[in-house]
Amino acid sequence: MKRQLHAITVGALCVLGTYCPAGLVSAAENENDRVTALEQKLDRSLKLIEQLTARVKELEAQRAGTAASAQNVPPAPPAESSPQIQQRLDSVEQQLTQITDSNAARGGGGAGVPLHGFADIGIGNHTANEPGLQGANVGALDMYLNPQLGEHTRALFELTFEVDQQGQVAPDLERAQIGYQFSDAATVWIGRFHTPFGYYNTAFHHGQQIATSLRRPRFILFEDQGGVMPNHTVGAWFTGAEPLTDGKATYDLFVGNGQAISDGEIDPRSGGVDHGGAIYGGNLGYVFGETLNGLKMGVSAFRSKITNDQPYVNFTRVDNVGVYFAYDTDRFEHIGEYYRFSDSGLTPVGPTHKSSAGFLQLAWRLPIATPYARYERAALNQSDTYFAAQTEGMSYYRDAVGLRFDIDLKSALKFELGHTKNTDRLVQEWNDVLMDYAIRF
Amino acid sequence: MQPKFRRWMVSLVLLAASSTAMADELYVVCHEGVSLDAADVRDVFLGEKQFLNTTRLIPVDNLAAQPAFLEKVLKMDAVRYTNSWVKKSFRYGINPPAAMANDAAVLEFIRHTPGGCGYLGTAPQNSINVVGKY
Repeated sequence: MKRQLHAITVGALCVLGTYCPAGLVSAAENENDRVTALEQKLDRSLKLIEQLTARVKELEAQRAGTAASAQNVPPAPPAESSPQIQQRLDSVEQQLTQITDSNAARGGGGAGVPLHGFADIGIGNHTANEPGLQGANVGALDMYLNPQLGEHTRALFELTFEVDQQGQVAPDLERAQIGYQFSDAATVWIGRFHTPFGYYNTAFHHGQQIATSLRRPRFILFEDQGGVMPNHTVGAWFTGAEPLTDGKATYDLFVGNGQAISDGEIDPRSGGVDHGGAIYGGNLGYVFGETLNGLKMGVSAFRSKITNDQPYVNFTRVDNVGVYFAYDTDRFEHIGEYYRFSDSGLTPVGPTHKSSAGFLQLAWRLPIATPYARYERAALNQSDTYFAAQTEGMSYYRDAVGLRFDIDLKSALKFELGHTKNTDRLVQEWNDVLMDYAIRF
Repeated sequence: MQPKFRRWMVSLVLLAASSTAMADELYVVCHEGVSLDAADVRDVFLGEKQFLNTTRLIPVDNLAAQPAFLEKVLKMDAVRYTNSWVKKSFRYGINPPAAMANDAAVLEFIRHTPGGCGYLGTAPQNSINVVGKY
């Protein structure tokens, strides 16, 4: 009896991961098999524990001289007879869930490509990016895939479904990148990617849940939301990082199709260009090490030959230089960016127009919530055909304060109070009271 | 409660307690031939360093020892660790470390995976390539 009990206990402990003699551990070759095996072991261990509990009851009954037979003793649930075992089982169940989630996220093995995504719903006296609308609005359903293709090949696809001003659902292949990673210092991507200017545009994408704030700075909004920067480029992107003494240097070089302005919005020309224009540029950054851990600073620049859809097509050369910093730690997330435009008319030939835009966002990660504040300003020259052709290409300033609550690891509730004023073209101002519930899966 | 049964229950509790105590020591281990310094270990598990020369590094998490690892090595909590990987996955198309249940699973993985790295809550055998002890 003693030997049997010992064997049962050792078996249970082995499954629980607490104690296991060498030779009893059977490791599966791949992770999916291992998860399945663990689940089966968990089932077996539950049965063993129930049997063990019943057997102990039986022994106790016999020793006490009772006439009750073992068959008449109902197996008590483990939680009643052994809280420690139940606690361990709960822990194992939790670990199995984590393993399943984690391995699904990793996407290894032959179980197919895992689908990840983001979604959000907003409510407010205006919608976040359309001051002419109010009430509840569907933000976006954003799905992305990053399959593991081998040691060096990488891929990332992001498909977004958004609701436009008319309430129509519009699918958009926001990113479609295939890349080859030579080393940590060099990866080349081709396809449609986020143009690597500044920090925000490559750090935050369409999934609103991972962004601290409720909405992007207005001038960096995506093209179809009214942003005035060429957020997406279709072409090639060479990127990497090189460790230095205390930190590392990061770089980006890119070239792609020159954008066009169509129906008042910037069009990245994902299907190719018919005018031969191109965008090219780069970004050079420095990520500090121990000394100022969490701080990144850098400069970026791009030049693009952009057309519009006027009867007499205008070609504008857009030159942009920017500086930025981001301080991202356990306690803080501070981001600042400033850009200068020097745009020249090529056809017809025109003067150079200067414009600028920038923002500063400060956020504090507190235990119960993350309050943030942001100021943004864009002074856009209305004589510049690049801005004049864009529906939302007017100057403005906006100040906002907000609060982000992380409900759990995968969902966040955000509130924002904002004041926006358009300072030219159509001068107007309004206050926002916004709420957004954002999730990822 | 009968003395023998009580003895068994005490054994159970002691075994569980001993496993917790053993988790105080943390060993970062890698497949043979992989050599990392302390700064590299952090970078590997945060996705900042993915190659050692031409070898692709494949980190795995050990759920049994993860709280200690996050506290001692990465110096961040689980929420920030998870969020960090979500952002990296979304930004750069890389995937987070696979999760292993315990030391035995990690050892099995790194033995068979070139470039594999993990961490253990108990001291491994001498034949295992230990690249850091915390």
